[in-house]
Amino acid sequence: MSLLEERKRGLTDPVMAAQILAEIPDEPLETQRKMCYFVEPRGKRLTEYEIMTCYSQPTPDWISGGLDWGDWTQKFHGGRPSWGNETTELKSSDWHQHRDPAGRWHPVYVKAKAEDWRVLQRFMESFSAEGALRTIDPFWRDTVLAKHLGAFGYSEYGLFNAHSSVIRDCLGDTLRSTFAFAGYDKTDNSQMTQLVRTFIAKLVPGYSDSTAPGKQEWTQGSAYKSARETVEKLWQETYDWNESMFAVHTIFDPLFGQLVRREFFQRLAPAYGDALTPVILAGMQTHFHATKDAIADIYYHCLANDHKHSGYNRRWMHAWIEKWLPSTVAAMAEFMSVYATLPKREGFTDNASIAASVNRVVEDWIADYADKIDYKVDQSKMVDTILAGLK
Amino acid sequence: MAISLATKAATDALALNRAPTSVGAQEVHKWMQDFNWDFKNNRTKYPTKYLMANDTKEQFKLIAKEYARMESVKDERQFGSLQDALTRMNAGNRVAPKWGETMKVVSNFLEVGEYNAIAASAMLWDSASSPEQKNGYLGQVMDEIRHVHQCGYVNYYFSKYFHDPAGHTDARRVRTLGPLWKGMKRVFADGFISGDAVECSINLQLVGEACFTNPLIVAVTEWASANGDEVTPTVFLSIETDELRHMANGYQTVVSIAHDPAAAKYLNTDLNNAFWTQQKYFTPVLGMLFEYGSKFKVEPWVKTWNRWVYEDWGGIWIGRLGKYGVQSPASLKDAKKDAYWAHHDLFLLAYAVWPTGFFRLALPSKEDADWFEANYPGWYDHYGKIYEEWRARGCEDPSSGFIPLQWFIENNHEIYIDRVSQVPFCPSLTKGASSLRIHEYNGKKHAFSDEWGERMWLSEPERYECQNVFEQYAGRELSEVIAELWGVRSDGKTLIGQPHVNKDGKLWTLDDVKRANCVFKDPLA
Repeated sequence: MSLLEERKRGLTDPVMAAQILAEIPDEPLETQRKMCYFVEPRGKRLTEYEIMTCYSQPTPDWISGGLDWGDWTQKFHGGRPSWGNETTELKSSDWHQHRDPAGRWHPVYVKAKAEDWRVLQRFMESFSAEGALRTIDPFWRDTVLAKHLGAFGYSEYGLFNAHSSVIRDCLGDTLRSTFAFAGYDKTDNSQMTQLVRTFIAKLVPGYSDSTAPGKQEWTQGSAYKSARETVEKLWQETYDWNESMFAVHTIFDPLFGQLVRREFFQRLAPAYGDALTPVILAGMQTHFHATKDAIADIYYHCLANDHKHSGYNRRWMHAWIEKWLPSTVAAMAEFMSVYATLPKREGFTDNASIAASVNRVVEDWIADYADKIDYKVDQSKMVDTILAGLK
Repeated sequence: MAISLATKAATDALALNRAPTSVGAQEVHKWMQDFNWDFKNNRTKYPTKYLMANDTKEQFKLIAKEYARMESVKDERQFGSLQDALTRMNAGNRVAPKWGETMKVVSNFLEVGEYNAIAASAMLWDSASSPEQKNGYLGQVMDEIRHVHQCGYVNYYFSKYFHDPAGHTDARRVRTLGPLWKGMKRVFADGFISGDAVECSINLQLVGEACFTNPLIVAVTEWASANGDEVTPTVFLSIETDELRHMANGYQTVVSIAHDPAAAKYLNTDLNNAFWTQQKYFTPVLGMLFEYGSKFKVEPWVKTWNRWVYEDWGGIWIGRLGKYGVQSPASLKDAKKDAYWAHHDLFLLAYAVWPTGFFRLALPSKEDADWFEANYPGWYDHYGKIYEEWRARGCEDPSSGFIPLQWFIENNHEIYIDRVSQVPFCPSLTKGASSLRIHEYNGKKHAFSDEWGERMWLSEPERYECQNVFEQYAGRELSEVIAELWGVRSDGKTLIGQPHVNKDGKLWTLDDVKRANCVFKDPLA
């Protein structure tokens, strides 16, 4: 029997409970019962997400929005502060302004992902019981998924790692949970690319779910050179946490990521009889859209329209697009070479279909990202540059 | 495109294999170590003097979706208990008043620790090179977000149901007012995130979590339950289930650097500094919260401390790491001395400045005093008599105009704040091991209460420059500071902090405090 069980409980032991009740005042000592009543709600009233999250960040008032005072009680060796304004070029009138439109706090986030996992496991069981893998084109299965879905898993894993220092350094609590969830979704994506191949390996005798073909393609293949170099720079060479997240989630992922996920795997898989990969991709696209909405709130709703620093922040965002867009476009152009390796499927792998794919991605990016901060893009020129990679 | 015979055979086999098949988390996880690749600038942004091995494994081998499933199940149990059974029992209100006040501090201060641990774990995820080790730290990042929200939920729950919600509702804003806040930030915030990444891991995982979460998160549930609080055990025991992963992470941090010659040179010094850092605050503060913040006592803090800190951690846990060259900290024996009297010393000071709290404090009752004397012989002669004098001067009554801080001034008992730990101490009154040391640096004076902290400061004074409450508020009248830092209730005049929990007792207002005319003074000025 544990110590806890041996002891009497104040709530249930009659003698103790009576003594406690005798000390409780007849009326509450305070009428204000709303936790965090001082927080400005984004909507009409405070949500549980806002109550649980807002002002959990204990920054002092010399970091915008902070409620504490004074210096840090312990700093890095040499005296660098625990958190500081110098960790980003962007400025905010209040680093606590951001709200995730989906209102995700931890239980909400893990509940959704747990449901995804259960649905996916049930799907795999029914899919395998039907023998649905019989319809899949062997080249697509043995080469494309092994090499290219595998390679894309590395891209997602690298982007996941671009979040670690951001979660360490960012200056707000709602920011921190949004970035953590976005990063977590990226590692989930990379694991799901592996799951696809592990699932096939359990069904198809002799099929290897080794990471080697994908890793070879990612590290040595010409189709991923610019993508890999961009991801490596986002991961380990970008110290400004806003630049890192802006580049990952408003430039590289909506362009290169969307091209590979939505326009390559999700659009082409049915043409090769693959009903498995689109289901996995659908989960990744759900992640993409949740992140997209949250990121739009951070960079467009809050920072690009900050009442004190709007113009200044937009200049930096434009500069970051100038910095990261060329290598992203190069990554997309290089990825075009993968199309040439595919068995032909009219309406899917012909040049007109590929051009339509690229146009959709670029058009979406301009409407959903560039236009939001008045960044001018020549769509046809950008599309032509990417399509020049078609072999 | 030609299809090989082997491929065709494999495809044909699908017609026969129709067993429902799924993929388990471990089948994906086993490939995780291959997710990394080498490239020129693959190095951490948070340098450490240690070298973390590329092949370190994690003990909890989870993938993202499986982690979510496990945590979601735990959430369902926890929120189900809170929102159903405990609410119907009105459990949020049927809590001993002193304990309900204690939870204002415990839950909010733990929340700060959990919040900073998000950043600390992310720094370690960045620092590690092994994908499995990164994954272990990532799991902790997510856990710490969970714990922030769980701690917040305890305050949220008491805000709704406890008979004095003030302080539960606004701890995140008013907590900066009192002298316990900065010390909490040293151990629970900056100590976790500012420094060599491995040193931070030692602070967070090897000491904070492996040593002090047992007394903090487990023992607190026993005290809570005794005092009518079933809300805290419901939440904190769910938190504790994640802490095992964090202790494993700390263990793996040591495993990952064990091969590195730097470990032999620095590890035990870093461990000693981390232990002293953490114990300097936790030892007195936890003891004070348990023993002075409860109606029904569980056991003397010194016994809890000996079991969890001295024997379980200092002996068994550190003993397991002995094969990696880890030794029990040299400062453990000094900490053991603090575990007896330091929390009594601290409560004397905390009560003296009660108006700066976001919780109500209470003088020890007759029953409390008997318990203290029985368990800490000599308590009455040193502390009990002082409380009797304060009570006789009407310290609980707003009309008395007496705040015990005045007694310290009248009797020339200077209160200092240790520059490194930020823990207040009164050299002329202490029964614990504190002793005053003062150094001058860059035209500013700094006070210290022990040799270990003093050594840390002498080595790296640039890391410990934070001003304390006496420097910050010097020359200012107490009620003015309270009003400025939101220390009042919704009527705009009654203090959140109070010097009693008597249900018929009068509550102090800003005007009552103003009449006492307490002006902050920096003892080092």
